Amino acid sequence: MSEVTKKISPKTLKKSFLTWFFFNGCSQQAESMLGMAFGHAMSPVIDELYDTKEEKAEALQRNITLFNTEAQVGSICNGIVCGLEESKANKQCTSEVIDSVKVALIGPTSAIGDSLWVATIIPILLTICMSISQANQAISWMGAVLYMIVYPIGTFLLSWWLFRLGYRSGLTGMQSMMSSGRLDQLTNAMTILGLIVTGALTASYVSFPLPIQIVKDVFDASTGEILEGVVLFNADDMLNGIFPHLLPLLLTLGVYYLYAKKKWSPLKLMGVILVLALAVTGIGYLFGVYT
Amino acid sequence: MTTLQIILIALFIYLGSIGSIVGNTIGWYTLGRPLVAAFIVGLIMQDVQSAMIVGIALQIMYMGNVTPGGAVAWDLSYATYIGTAGALVFGKGLDSTELIGMAVIFAGIGGLVGQLMWNVSYALNLPLNRIAQKYAAQGETRKMWIPNVALAQTIGFLCRVVPALIVLTSMTAASQQADFASLIPGWVTTALGIFGGMMAALGMGIILSFLWKKQYQIVIFLAGFILVTYFELSMMAVAVIGVIIAVLYFYGFSNTENREGIKS
Repeated sequence: MSEVTKKISPKTLKKSFLTWFFFNGCSQQAESMLGMAFGHAMSPVIDELYDTKEEKAEALQRNITLFNTEAQVGSICNGIVCGLEESKANKQCTSEVIDSVKVALIGPTSAIGDSLWVATIIPILLTICMSISQANQAISWMGAVLYMIVYPIGTFLLSWWLFRLGYRSGLTGMQSMMSSGRLDQLTNAMTILGLIVTGALTASYVSFPLPIQIVKDVFDASTGEILEGVVLFNADDMLNGIFPHLLPLLLTLGVYYLYAKKKWSPLKLMGVILVLALAVTGIGYLFGVYT
Repeated sequence: MTTLQIILIALFIYLGSIGSIVGNTIGWYTLGRPLVAAFIVGLIMQDVQSAMIVGIALQIMYMGNVTPGGAVAWDLSYATYIGTAGALVFGKGLDSTELIGMAVIFAGIGGLVGQLMWNVSYALNLPLNRIAQKYAAQGETRKMWIPNVALAQTIGFLCRVVPALIVLTSMTAASQQADFASLIPGWVTTALGIFGGMMAALGMGIILSFLWKKQYQIVIFLAGFILVTYFELSMMAVAVIGVIIAVLYFYGFSNTENREGIKS
């Protein structure tokens, strides 16, 4: 071949990644989702790889179409597409391949990003930081500061690593990772961790009181005295005697069912919870638990 | 609140909202979390301790609010910054339960405004596609930042900062008119406390919808649940146990597979 093979310089790759990292959500909308941000992040790469305006225009138009992912873990897509654009510039890849690969990446990367990183790592990290803040009121700021340092730096490093991984090993790398089952194992392992922590969070933080109690003055036959205000029956104590935190558990599972299976909107669920809370308050005042 | 405090908080509401200029990792997922937001409001209003009491309560309520894009239930950034600021402005001298009750009210107001403005900015961003397509057709690689950052962020900035300024200014004005804390009846505070505790279930339900894919996995969730209820372990201890099990699963699984590979 007479032509020199084109290669994206490390500097341009870094620029592309940083553009994505900072501006991925800037212009989110319903038409192309993160498409504009993707095109913006790809523009330094396109600028370097292609010479004529026509080629650049073609490449840009290809990269601003519909794209969506969980942006932090999804940086692997940017890496992969950088690699593909490089092959395209060297005439070893067609634009159809790039298009279909990009669309194919939307599903798995969003699913992995949302369940592994967003729904597992963030609650766990927040929980740890919250426990630190709760432990001592005088230094309650420490949890917040710890989170502000650990989360962004950790995520930045992961995101940058995934971006380079995508560029280096390309689609074959991701395919071999997915087909070897390593990724499935990682997903399963993280799901286990996430579910255990979610269970513990539910037990620790969700509350659903049932303020029903019967209080009466009781005549004590052995001493002959009248004991005033003895709690004869307390619904919360009874339920907790059978299974501690039964109501919070049922409430959480009920909300899950309505949200995930019946597709209720969070706002609607919030309204239902508000009504329930008001009902509980009413019951509490009725039975004299709250005064 | 002084004018400077109002401007600073409004600015952080913008930075902590979805798709701000600092990126979702630093913005929405860090500055937008109630724990961090409360700390920042505390610093601005010089009462970190009270702010953190509120922050932890709001963080528990909104633990499950983690997805940008998909279904944004309420704008967390608005809810927590305004919630914490409201509690600090109106809740001078109140005990912590009442303070949290105040925060829940203002977080609700903030969240609704935020939800509305999110929809507005989501719609206003649509025409930007035309501009992006125009530049793309001309091959203007160096102008792609105009629709994606310059214009989109002008929309985002105005949609967040202007309503935030209005809400915060009227809050300040109202707090000087009357002592609202004493006007709120006891049953409202009680109901809000109960509501806050029950709201945590919504967060957990949303997180579960991401994680719980196969029916049998409910037992893993229950395992975590009883570790706290029956074994009375702290969250930190459960997190460590969870990591241990996940690591054992990951490596245990890969080892058996390797052995099978050798056999065949």
